Formats: sequence, C-alpha cells, structure tokens
Amino acid sequence: MIQSSFTERNLRILFPLPAVVFIGLLMVFPILYTLYLSFTSWNLTSGMDPAFVGLNSYLRVFSEPRFLHAIGRTFSFTASAVAIEVVLGVAIALILNRAFVGKSLAKLLLLLPLVATPVAVGIVFNLFYDPTIGLLNFALNALGLPQGRWVSSENTVISSLVLVDVWQWTPMITLIVLAGLAGLSEEPVEAARVDGASEWQILRYVTIPMVMPVILTAMILRLIDALKTFDIIFAMTGGGPGYASETLNIMGFKYSFEYFRIGQSSVILIALFLVVLLCSLGIMKLRASSEN
Amino acid sequence: MEYKLSKIGVALASLCVCAGAMAQTGEIRVLVANHPYGELLKLSIPQFEKSTGIRVNVESLQESQLTQKLTTEFATKSSTVDVFMTRPLQEGKMFSKNGWYAPLTGYDFNDYPKNIMNAASFGGKPYIVPLVTEWQVLYYRKDLLQQAGLKVPTTFEELEAAAQKLNSESVAGIASRGKGAAAVTQASSYIFNYGGQYLENGKAVFDSKPAIDALRYYGRLLGSYGPKGVTSMSWENIMPLFQAGKVAMWTDASVFYGQVVDQSKTQIPVANFDIANFPAGPKTNAPFIVSSWGISVASQSKKKDMAMKFLNWASSKEMAIKGMMGNITMARSSVWEDQIVRSKMNPGLIATRAFAAKHGTPVDRPYMSAVGEARDLIGEVIIESINTKGTSAKLDQMAKEKVTKVNELLQDSGEFGK
Amino acid sequence: MKKDKIVSTVLFYVLVLIIALVVLFPFLWMLTSSFKTQVDIISWPPKLLFEPTLRNYRKVFEEQDFLKYFFNSTIVGAMAVGLSLLLGLPAAYSISRFAQKKLAVFILLARLMPGISFLMPWYIIFSRLGLMDSYVALVLSHMLIALPIVVWIMSTYFSTIPRELEESAMVDGATRQLAFMKIILPLSGPGIITATTLSFIFSWNNFMFSQVLSMERTKTLPIAVYNFLSYAEVDWGGVMAAAVAIMAPAIVLTMIFQQYVVKGLTMGAVKG
Repeated sequence: MIQSSFTERNLRILFPLPAVVFIGLLMVFPILYTLYLSFTSWNLTSGMDPAFVGLNSYLRVFSEPRFLHAIGRTFSFTASAVAIEVVLGVAIALILNRAFVGKSLAKLLLLLPLVATPVAVGIVFNLFYDPTIGLLNFALNALGLPQGRWVSSENTVISSLVLVDVWQWTPMITLIVLAGLAGLSEEPVEAARVDGASEWQILRYVTIPMVMPVILTAMILRLIDALKTFDIIFAMTGGGPGYASETLNIMGFKYSFEYFRIGQSSVILIALFLVVLLCSLGIMKLRASSEN
Repeated sequence: MEYKLSKIGVALASLCVCAGAMAQTGEIRVLVANHPYGELLKLSIPQFEKSTGIRVNVESLQESQLTQKLTTEFATKSSTVDVFMTRPLQEGKMFSKNGWYAPLTGYDFNDYPKNIMNAASFGGKPYIVPLVTEWQVLYYRKDLLQQAGLKVPTTFEELEAAAQKLNSESVAGIASRGKGAAAVTQASSYIFNYGGQYLENGKAVFDSKPAIDALRYYGRLLGSYGPKGVTSMSWENIMPLFQAGKVAMWTDASVFYGQVVDQSKTQIPVANFDIANFPAGPKTNAPFIVSSWGISVASQSKKKDMAMKFLNWASSKEMAIKGMMGNITMARSSVWEDQIVRSKMNPGLIATRAFAAKHGTPVDRPYMSAVGEARDLIGEVIIESINTKGTSAKLDQMAKEKVTKVNELLQDSGEFGK
Repeated sequence: MKKDKIVSTVLFYVLVLIIALVVLFPFLWMLTSSFKTQVDIISWPPKLLFEPTLRNYRKVFEEQDFLKYFFNSTIVGAMAVGLSLLLGLPAAYSISRFAQKKLAVFILLARLMPGISFLMPWYIIFSRLGLMDSYVALVLSHMLIALPIVVWIMSTYFSTIPRELEESAMVDGATRQLAFMKIILPLSGPGIITATTLSFIFSWNNFMFSQVLSMERTKTLPIAVYNFLSYAEVDWGGVMAAAVAIMAPAIVLTMIFQQYVVKGLTMGAVKG
C-alpha cells in the first residue's frame, strides 16, 4: 500500500476549502446581517440607531399592498419573459438545427445580445421607446401600424420591458438547446421516419421529448436570473410609471436607497431570496422527475 | 496551495498599509454632483491645490447615486469623505438628523438670502453653504406663440388657453414633469399659486381644496395638452422633445436655460426660445425659489481643517462669479448685483430670478426627512390626475389617504407638528 | 419536388436573415447614433442620412477619461477571474471526482442572493479593513460573480475527463493533487478558456457592485455611461458612444473565443 499523505487523504476537504471559506466570509456575513436587519426597524430618516423589533418589520411589509403587488409583478414579468424566451428560443434552435452556410456566423450574432451591458441596453432602449421621438413609433407609423406608449404607460410597461429582456436572453436558450439537439442520436428520428411519421409528428413526439431535459436546464438558468432582473428595469423605468413596473428587487432598492427604511428593505430582500430559492428548487425537482 | 495563499495575504496586507498611509498626507476626499457647478469645481481644483498645497481626490456622481453612496458610507460609519455637495431640501433633514453634517459656525452667511438659509440650518445652526439656486419658470417658443397670435401667458387661464390653441397632432401645447416623484417639485408652484401647500406646520395639507384644485388643473393641463406618455416623463425626457420642436411651452426649473438656448443641441434657431415668469394662479404668484445644491463638511471627516479650507474656496464669491459668468445661477445675493455679471448674463434669467426672489416660496417639496417616500405618495395623486385629465372622482379620497400616510411618516421621524 | 426545395431553402434563409437583423438592430442603431450630433439623434423624423462626427468619441476618450475606466475594468476583471480560477479549479475538481453535490449547491447559492443585500454589509467590512480605495473591494465582490461560474462550468468539464487518466498516474505513485496539476489541468484548456471568458464578461458588465464599491481611482466602465447623465443635461451622443465603447471589448473577446463561449453556455446544460 502506498503511503498517502495527509493532504491526499483529505483532498476532498482541502481542495474546496479556500472557495468555501471565501464564499462563507463574503456571503454568509451579508446574509446574516440582512437577516438581523430585517428584525430591526432601522430607519435612517429617524436618526436613531437600529432597534430590535422582532417580526414588526415583517408585519408592516407583508401588510403593505404594494409588497404583494411587487411579488405579483415579479412573477408576471418573469413568467412572461421566460415563457417567451423558451418558446422562441426552442423554435429558433429547431429552425437553425441543420447545416447551412453561415451557421457559425449566425451563432456568433446570437451571442452578441448576451454580452451587451444591460444598463447601457436599457438606456438606449428608452430612447427607442420614446412615444414622440422614438424610432419604434416612427417605424410603426410608417408601416401604418398603431403606435404605443411602451414604457410610458402602466398598461404596456411590463410587456415593453419583457420585450427588451427577450431580445437579450432568447439567444442563450437557443444556443443551449442547439447544443442539446446536436448531441441527440439520429436513430429514433430515422426510425420514426421509416415508420411514416410526418415531420411535425417527429418533432412533437420524438425530438422535443428527447431534448426536454436540456430545455428545462436552460429554463432554470434563465429563471433564477429573470426573478432578480434589476439593471434593465432600473435604467429604463425605475419601477414606474407610478409603481407599475416595480418588482421585488426594485422595491428593495427603493426602500434601501430612497426611503432609507433599511429594516423593511431587508425584509423585502429576504423575501426575494426565498422566492428565488423556492422557484429554483421547484424547477430542479421537475427536471429530476422528467429525466425519469 | 499554501504558497499561493500566502502570496495573496502579502498583497492584501501591503494594500492595507498603503491605504493607511494616505490618511496622514495632505489630501482630502471630495464628492461633487454631475451638475454644471460640480464640473466647474472639478476644473478649478488644480488652482486650489496649487495655492494651498492640499491634494484633492475628487469624485463626481449622478445626483441620486451621490446620495446613495454618501448614505451607505455615513450609515455604516465607514466614510472617508471630507467635503461633499448636498441637496438641502432632499437629504438635508435626514442627514442633519443623523448628525452627518459638521456645524459651520464661523462661516459668514450674510451674502445669502435669509429664507434660503432656513433650509440650510437645523435647530438654528447652519450646516450647509448654499451654492446654486433655481426657481420655476416658463420656457416657451416665441415663434409658435407669435404665429398663433398669442401673448406670453401671465395667468393660469391664459396658460391653459394658449396650451389649447398651440396643441396639435405634432406639437404638444404644454409640457411639465408627470413622472410621479419627479413631478412633485414642478407641481409645487402650481399648488402655491392656488394658495395650497404640501406641508404646513409639520402636517400634510395637500388634500386641501386649493391644493386639489391645483392638482386638477395640473392634470387637466397635461392630460389634455401634454406630450404622449407624460406620466413617465421628467426633465430629461421633456428637454429633447422641446429641443426637437415637439413642445410649445414647458414649465420647469431655471437651471435648464443654458441647454435650451444652446444652438448645438437643436435645429430650431435659439432666438425662438425664451423664458418668462411662471404665470399667476387664482390666489397668488409665488413660484418656488430654492437652493438646489449646497456644500458641507462631513462630521465623520478626520481632516476638518483642510475640509473647511476647501469649503471656503468652493463657496467663495470669486468662484460664484466664475459660475455666474458660465450661466450657472448661484445662491449668493451679491453676485447678482455685480455689473459685469449683469451685462453678460441673459436678461430673462435676471428678470425671472428677481421676480421669484421677491415673491417666491422657498420650498419646492414637502420639507421632511422621509421626503423620498412622500414624493412617491404625492406623485401617485399627480399621476391619477393627469391620467384622468383632472376629472378623477377618486382624487379627493386618494389625496386624503396620502395625507394620512405622509403624516405617519412625519410622526415616525418625530417631525409631525413641528 | 425541386421547386419545393428551392422555395423552402429561400424561406429558410429569409428567416435566418430576419432573426439576424432583429438581433443586430439595437447594436447598429447604437453604433450609428454614436456618430451623430445630439440634434440628429433626437430629430424627428429620425435621420437616416447625416453628417458623422467624432465629437462623441472624443468626449468619451478625452473628457471622460475612458482609458482609466477601461484599465480599471480590465484589472478588476482579470484579478477577479484569476483568483476565481485559483479557488474554483480545485473546488470544481473535488466536486467532480468526489460527487459533492451539496458543495456545488452551496457555491451556487451565491448566485441566488439579490446583489443589493451585499452592499451595506460589504461596505462595513471593507471600509473597516481600510480596503475601500483600492481594487481589493471591487475584486472580491466580482469574485462572488465569477467563482460560481467557474465552479459550475469546470465541475461539468472535469466530469468529461475520464478518471482513468489520473488514476493510472496514481497507481504509478503520483499523489492525486500532483495528478490534478500535471495531468488534468493541462487537458482542461478549452474549459478554462470558456470559464475565463464568460466570467470576465459578467464582471465587465457589472454595474451595481462597481457603482457603490468603487472610488474615483477605481471606477469601472458601466459607470461611465452615467457620466453623461448629469443634473441638467443628457448627452445622448455621449451615452451612445460610451455604450459602444463599453461593449466593444466584450464583443471582440466574444468573437475571438466564440466557440469556447458557446461551449461554456451549453456546458452543464447538455451534460446535466
């Protein structure tokens, strides 16, 4: 038997240790600190130091209709955005799933929105969306289509923001699913074709089910980030008009840095963390069961 | 593994030493805003460094990011800021409550109007030196008014009539901020001119009949003759429209005058843009005139002597005259009387300021610590009014609810009834 | 039969073209606007033909000290990614070889927390340690973004490398850690490039952490955009030029390492 050193025997602890310590120090303290703050009523506008109030801040936040609306908006924004991105992304992937001239170039172009700086994208899209001098309304007008208020109206602001998110992140779904499709074996498709199935039937009953785990994985990734969307909304509407586009993350920011109600903003941020956690676990369970 | 970790440790330690060493030399940290006067200060700092030998580490930030950063630093008691630009009406009360301003006893405030000093002092002691001042005005297109045979509106009735006449499919008759919290400052003058107020004796009173009448007027004006989507517009959205010729009249603060008459920003000949006094309401004409930005020393500063030197220089009469010559409207009274300044500055600015200084109101928002939240609440009422062109049946009820909430905020921060 | 094929091929390429245009359009618009004067950008109807100007770029590079931001973003990104590799590669290897699912979840947890909640606590820590006016605070905060990406990509990548490789070396007397460094790592080039490129891009685009934790000396690129939004003026030409200048390096990086970036995005998704 070869003598293994202390290091080697404990490699499974030593190798991850620096990363764990780092994350522990940098992440655990903020989480605990935020948790602590959520049990205080610290309000910078009162000039007093944080005072422990138990669940008082939680009660005040949860009983605020605005909080419940923010949760609703977080879900409606996320659900719309992710749903469209998945459907569109898969559709585009299916279309592009063949050898063609310029495929490499197409994949490169698809990468570009993913690497664009969200804050800059938001500021630029704002000008694009302006009801009076924006390019979008001008184009619609020229084509004889009705113009819109986009991010300037309570009714259309969420959809307009979703549109920007879809532009930026659909390519990620497409690229992931494309890779998944490329890794599928040809046999089931060939067999179905031999059996006389139509292309549509093949798609529906063979291809998509085979690539479903990949689709779900892509959806998880997108879902986590979509729930926390901040940069675009912050840069484009700041939660407005009124509160029409205020998601949990934006509300948390406002309560922290505009109202200076640190105790309550901590409650909102903890709530957001739990929402993201639960959604992620939920979808992961879904994926595990679909693989079986 | 261990070898690499120790390398990092050494690097971190030496960075700590460097950071500590800088505290001992003659250097101060100054935070200014992305404001024309902030730009001027940044440009002039080399002269200050030369004459005093103090090195200045200056940082400029967009206004809300400035407040955010200062608050994060001060609240966590971990600030290295020595001098900073500040907004007396927005964060003044909150900052002073938390003791974040250093008292400025010993500074000579005689050159500043008394009513402006009220917003710069807390508990009778001054904490902020006002830098710039701004007041509400009416910007308008001379050519469009002439073509329509209209004279410049001097009352709310004339304003509405003109807006209606000038309004068309391609040009909005009038524009003013509609974006909730941002609109609160512009709607203030309308409310004052109807005889209403946001706060009176520490209590919210914007549900009074005069205030509601004013809000209905504001909503009717903008809802009927304002640009599309006005409820999400602040000055940065209206200005390009005005410069693109899509708006005939615009009520906002005087500080935008320089941009409005900048030929490089518009295709319309700038001789067609002019400025006039804010029109009178049914009760009076008392548009706001406030000190939008001031400068203070941080109470947590460890270099107060050097900080005061900078503050004195940045708020000096010499610097103020420099600002005025660049069309920045400064707070010091004396510079407005200076003959050279008067000959260079636009007469419209001088005239509208003189008017506002005589009759104006020294606040443009509910003056309280929780002003951010209060502005959002009042903003909701403004948006409702605009969306219904001032006709909303829910407006009175809504205003009452918001008044109750604002009063709660006042009570929470111990300012109710003061 | 042949006609059908031609029609469907043409349709296919038309579709591809439409997709490409939709994807590219905002970039093209940003690029053309960055060469326009403010008047031309806001003019109505929008101007297709215009006299180009370099004024905006001059402003970005000269007046706004773009090179300093670029330098800072590069330093912060490089250090954050470098240190993340240092900490992440061993951790990813461990997860892969010892099937430490819980550890993987713990590290991914860092991605779930909303960024705002880190700001005040970090401010307290970093300023008490006197680390604010240095790159340390920024680098550490960006590592929290980069590290989970590195671990996630590399743990899956290591799983595609057969265990036999290091196991045969270990039979010959090498320790596992030696096998890791001498055998596994050299084979991991593509995966490391992927992880590096992706996490560098995310660090490059980060706004929130940089805005609160950076000081004048250490300001990074995304903040530069806000420099053109001042108290009484919005310089649209400047904003567009700044946006282009910020995105250009990331785009160039993407073009160079395209296949790795694509692989990185799909890694872990395909393998599961």
